[in-house]
Order: sequence, then C-alpha cells, then structure tokens
Amino acid sequence: MNGAAAVTGLGAVSPFGWGAGPFADGLLAGAGAIGEFDRFDHAAYRTHVAGQVPPEPAGLAARQPCWRRLTLAERFAVAAAAEAVAGAGFGGGGTTGLAGRRAGVFFSSSTGGMLEGEEFYAALEPRRRPRLRGMVAQQVSAPGEAVARALGVTGPVETVSSACASGTLALGLALDALRGGEVDVAIAGGADVLCRITYAGFNSLRSVDERPCRPFRADRAGLSLGEGAAALVLERAEDALARGARPRALLAGAGAAADAHHMTAPHPEGDGAARAIAAALADAGVAAGEIGSLNAHGTGTPHNDLAEWRALARVFGAERARELPLAATKACVGHLLGSAGALEAAAAVVCLERGAVHPAPGGGAVDPETPAALVLGRPRPLAGAAPLLSLNLAFGGCNAALVLVPASA
Amino acid sequence: MNQVVVTGLGAVTAFGAGAEPLAGALARGATRLSPVEPSRRLPRPTGGATSAVRVGDLPLGEWLAPLVARRMSPPSRWAVAAAKMALADAGLSVPDRPGEPDPATAVALATSFGPMSYTQRLLDQILDEGPEAASPSLFTECVANAPAAQVAIQCRAAGRNHTICQREAGALTALARGAADVASGRAARALAGAAEEVTPLVFAILDRFRALARPHRRSSDRVGEAGPAPGATAAAGRGGSRGAAPPAPTEAARPFDRRRDGFTVADGAAVLVLEPAAAAAARGARVLARVRAWGGAFDPTAGRAGWGTGAAGLAVELQGVLGRAGLAPDDIDLVVSGASGAVAGDRLEAAVLRRLWAGAPLPPVLVPKAVTGEYAGGFLAAAVLAAAGRPFGAAPGFARSDDALAVAPHDGSPLPPPRRLLVTSLAAGGSAAWVILEAP
Repeated sequence: MNGAAAVTGLGAVSPFGWGAGPFADGLLAGAGAIGEFDRFDHAAYRTHVAGQVPPEPAGLAARQPCWRRLTLAERFAVAAAAEAVAGAGFGGGGTTGLAGRRAGVFFSSSTGGMLEGEEFYAALEPRRRPRLRGMVAQQVSAPGEAVARALGVTGPVETVSSACASGTLALGLALDALRGGEVDVAIAGGADVLCRITYAGFNSLRSVDERPCRPFRADRAGLSLGEGAAALVLERAEDALARGARPRALLAGAGAAADAHHMTAPHPEGDGAARAIAAALADAGVAAGEIGSLNAHGTGTPHNDLAEWRALARVFGAERARELPLAATKACVGHLLGSAGALEAAAAVVCLERGAVHPAPGGGAVDPETPAALVLGRPRPLAGAAPLLSLNLAFGGCNAALVLVPASA
Repeated sequence: MNQVVVTGLGAVTAFGAGAEPLAGALARGATRLSPVEPSRRLPRPTGGATSAVRVGDLPLGEWLAPLVARRMSPPSRWAVAAAKMALADAGLSVPDRPGEPDPATAVALATSFGPMSYTQRLLDQILDEGPEAASPSLFTECVANAPAAQVAIQCRAAGRNHTICQREAGALTALARGAADVASGRAARALAGAAEEVTPLVFAILDRFRALARPHRRSSDRVGEAGPAPGATAAAGRGGSRGAAPPAPTEAARPFDRRRDGFTVADGAAVLVLEPAAAAAARGARVLARVRAWGGAFDPTAGRAGWGTGAAGLAVELQGVLGRAGLAPDDIDLVVSGASGAVAGDRLEAAVLRRLWAGAPLPPVLVPKAVTGEYAGGFLAAAVLAAAGRPFGAAPGFARSDDALAVAPHDGSPLPPPRRLLVTSLAAGGSAAWVILEAP
C-alpha cells in the first residue's frame, strides 16, 4: 500500500436532502429519489424524471457569507464541504479549524454553473446589458473555488472535469497530494446541477430512461440524471490518528485508465475500466480476491452496464464477480455526472461504516448478460471488514476506480 | 521517484503549427493579433477590445486527416495536432490512426472554457429550436474533456486521463499532474498541456468585464508584425472580410506596464511530452527541460471574478513549494511570469515575487503572455522554450515601468542560459500554480 488516507469528514447534498444524514438514511432504506422535477421547464423534452435536490433548509443562508450570490452548484459544494470539515472536528484557529493547516481542495464538476449560464445566455439580446454575474460562475472551477473561499483554504485548488469520472479522479488527486506532502488536509468532492444542456444532450443520445433508471436490470432503458454534491475530508491516516480523529473509512488506493477507443461508447470489453480497477487495487496493495463489495458506475444504459460487467468479470473472474454484493447508487439519486464519483465515494463510506451494502429501489430481474449481485430491496450485511471498490466510467473513455476500506480494518 | 524531463513540445498557435513559429515570435518579441467578429448574442459596443491571438484556419492536415478533424471541435483538433507534434518532436512514433492502446501514456490537459463554439451551438439549438433539436455530435464534443479524450484516442494514450479546469492556473496544474504521474511511475510517458478556443461570445464577455487590453498608442513598434494569423479568414466575420486590413496593432497586452489595461486572449493548444529522465537518456532523447517541482495555492481574498490581495499568503505557499524541493529563491535565475497585463493580476503577481525575494533583486523576469496571449498553453510552451535556452525579445507594448509594482519585464537583451526557472500562474478567482523547471 502506498499510504492510505483517512476519511475524517463527510458531507453531502443529494436528492435525499441536505446533509450526509439524509443521504445515508435514504440509501439504506432502499429509497428512490428520482421523480418529477422542476429545476427548469422540461415540457418539451423527451423525458421527465430526474433526481432533484429539495429546497435548501432554512438558515443555511445566514451561516455562509454571500450565499445569495452563489450559483446552485456552488451552494451544494459549500454546504457539503462545510459539513465535511465540521465533522472532521479540527480544533485550532478560525471558524473551520483549518487555519494554520496546509489544506487543499480537489473538486470536480461537469457543468459548474451551467444552469445559471443557460439563463444568462437565453437572456442575451442585442439591446440589453446582461448581468455579467450570471456568466461568472459558469466556470467549471467555480464550485471548488467557492469551497476554498468559504473555508479559507490557502493550499492548492484543482478542479477535474473529466465527465462522469471526474469525482473519482479528484479523490485520486487528493490522495496523491497527501502522499506527496503537498497538503496535510484535502477536501475532495464534486458538485453538479441539473441543467438543460445535459438533459437535452443525453436525450439526444437516447440515453435517458422515461422511468427512474434500473442499472443491471433486464429491462433497463437508460440513465436518470441527478444533481448534488459530496465532500470528503482526507488526511494521512497517521496524521488523523495523531490528532485523535476518528476515521470513518480509509481511502486506500486510486487508479485510472483510458479506453482510447471512442468518444461516447465504452470499450465493449471494458478494457480501460478493467485497467483502472487493476491500477486502484495495485495502488492500494489489495488483491482482487480481497474485495468484498462494489459500488458500480451502473448508469442503467444497456451498453454501459454491459461494458462495466465485463470489466468486473475480467478483474475478479466471472464467478467471483457474480458473488460480490454490488450497490448501484445512481438508481437511488440519479447520475450526478461530474460529481457522481464523489457522491458514490460518500456512499461507499456509509456502507463501510454501517457494515452493509445499500440496496437499489424497486425489484426486477437482473439481466443475465450482466449477472451482478445487485443488492435490491434491503441492505445486504457485509461479512468482515473487506475493502470496497468504487468504479466510474465516463465520456471519452475515462475510467477511474477507488479502493476504500473500513476504518476498523 | 523518477526525475521528469520534457522531451517534446507541440504547439498550434496564431504563429503557426509547431514550436518553432512560436519560438520565433518570442525571440522577436512580436505578437500576432487578429480581429474577433462581433458576438451575435452580445454585440459591441463593449469594453473596446477588438482582437485576439487566434489560430484561424491553420492547415493541420499533416497531423490530422480532414475526415477525422471534421468530427472534432476546434480545441480537440488543435490538441490532437499539438500532441502528435510533441510526440514527433520527442522522436517517438506518431500514430496515424487510432489503434492498439498504450496503457503507459497518460494525458493531462487544461481548458478554461472547453469547446465553447460547440457548447454555444448546442445551446442555440436547445433554446431557439427546442430540446429535440439538440445534436448528439455537438453534445459529445462540447464536454470539457473532449480534447483530452480525443488525444487519448488519436494518440493511443490509454493511461490516466485528466482534464483540469482551473482558469489561468490550469496549464501549469496539468503539467504538474502529468509530471506527478511520470514521477510516481504510474505512467511511462505523459502528454500534458492545454487547449482553448476563443469564440466571439467569450471574447465579448471578457471585454464587458474590461478584462481585455484595449487599443492604445504605444512608443514601441515591435508589435508592427501583428496581423492576421495564417489563414485566419474566419476571424473576419462581420468585422471585415477576406483581405481586410488587420486591426491597428495596438492591442498587445502590456504586462507590468504602468498603463496596462488587460490581457489579450488566445486560442490554440500546446502539449508537452514528459518522460522519466532515465528513459529519455536510455533512448538518447533530446531533453528540453527538467521538471524539478510544482505546487499550488489559493488566495481566499479573491472574489469570484477578480484578483485578491493575499500576496503574503501566496508568497508563503510559494516559499513552501521551493522549500519542499530543497530550493531557495537564490536558486532561481529566471522567472517566467504569468503576468498578462491584467491590472490587479499583475499587481498581485509582482507583490508575490517581491515578497518571495524579500527585498533582494529579482532575477530577470520574462512575460511571454505579451506575445502568446492568455490561455491555450502558449505560455506553457514559452516556459519550456525559456528553459531550453531559447532567446526572448523584449515584451511587445511595454513602455513604462509601474513604480508601484517594482517589477519590470526583461528588456530583451541576451541572457545567459538559465539554470533554474520559476514559472508562475495566478488565476482570477484565487488559484495559483507554480512549476520549477531546470535547464537540461
């Protein structure tokens, strides 16, 4: 193992609500938060369901400066990161306890403030002077920068925008930065918001299901889009123990690889995904046979799930891959695109802490072509303290994987 | 950990295809401005800027078959061409088509705005014609990681693939991430760089913010070479037509000048080949530069769109980057500054440098963005050329020092080959990235 990072703080904003608590409760209840939404007028669109974050709770605006000026993605990001840092229990100076610590932000997003950018764009008319503020936060880097600004971070801030693998890659960069001594504390995560361009774009590819998505099921018919944010506070495991922090899990390794095959279609045999998994296992010093559960990318599109299954079968062997309990978080909250990997890492922490793999809502038969041990209906208890593998596949053939282990391991 | 070296450099810039046209422009201290047509959605009058350092219709058929190029957004085309140029420059084989992937080659590319022309066209379809009009081919090429993914596909680079979006600090951050992959042994090779596209709307928005250099009288005539980029007829648009006279060559950015009033924006791409020093030596590769160290920081005093005042904090972080590499400011004999002509940005950059050297004289300071413009990796390529000992002319447009800064660009006189360079990039919004390069 190259050196694990302790997850000492966790924050989430998801279609289940604002906070890691509602997220964990929703997952373990096997609930589904995908349904009707009103983030924008979608009457003219082909499909009409998504995972939308409920309205923010009262009082949030009062706790964060300039809250009203933030885009929705920035609000999600700041809320998740503030919760994660508060939970990490740093003592010391400043309102967050980060003062005097070498902290960095490693964040991800696919669209940043695109929702507001679209409204700015639609309002542009030759004779009007638009409010330029609407365009400022369209930058993909805006959520991570908002986190750094809100928490007073002075170390590096890096934003990954590698489509649906972004969040997982951001956590990998955070792990690298901790191991390399660039930072002592890494706030890693991602944020994305439902917007017209992704909703129309995935519909143009005929990739969106008219019903809530059903990854790995025989009747799956596409993905469901979602929105939200997640943030994890990472520290070198020895540092966390030295300050008496209680690790919630350990991020043991990260790996990534590209298909170098096609812009939208995954490699049909899951080549890049298999190499990403192998790289993460090697980075963590964990053998494939030690993995005890999976958090799949599981979009619910026919081709993507098939490629993912084949990657899992290549690494673990088909027999073992059929046995590994598999969580499909996107079935609960939708596909958060650039922040999906971050929220799924948060889901992995929840599962390892609770000793159970969260179920996907609903029933239905697993596709015999993708015979994963998809957990349905109720949580599946985990035996022992085995590591968990979380995987993401992305547009452009970007694949990334994480290995997380229980804090008790 | 492996020592990391730069063995190849590819660039698609307003000056032409390849690193040599850019090196020539830097040596002459001459930028190349082309008119930017008015934005249909945000027409002038705006802040007064009219031109940018644009690639235009540069022929790239040697690097990218037209049929393949047609399916790519402009930044993807430029990134792929630059990556192939870099591989050729490094003496490595250049794939002529996608094929058996090489898992040992990583990609790390930066972009600030992504493939904006495709994003805008897609938004036009959705907003004007309805969501069902959305084109799947536009959608798949409008994602920020399209250029990095296309580089992976066309160059068979199947290692880790990162797209970094960190505004003006992105290119150095991408270099750092590529170098980290090679240093750790995760990749045997990395293609690192940046790609960007200037659209009329992006230009108009930056201009509305008064971020861009505006026409000005100047005492120097070095920008007299300015003119449209090779084949840059697309830039004419409503602002002119093929053969129209180029704009008055008076919009060159003036980094550190007392009368600086903004930066010039650029499009194009630049890509470096990074390898372990031992591997480069084993195959007898020419080394352009060594990547000694890297790091980043954030200035939380910065607003979302502007520059902060946290020079003290940034200087402490930069000191830490040097210190972790076992270096002190005295070990630096050349600064390749990311100063761009931004009024507050250059002020912050100067303050950070002054604090780092704590009253001692600074080494010579180059300001390549006066030639390359902001974004698109031209600055990154310039830093590597500086490390390789290539000559730099005086900054075009610079005329008067700003006493408040106490930092001025090098005057263009010949410099001894540098041993160790500090490369800096502060970004609007608060980010900062630094890289230490060493001469080969």
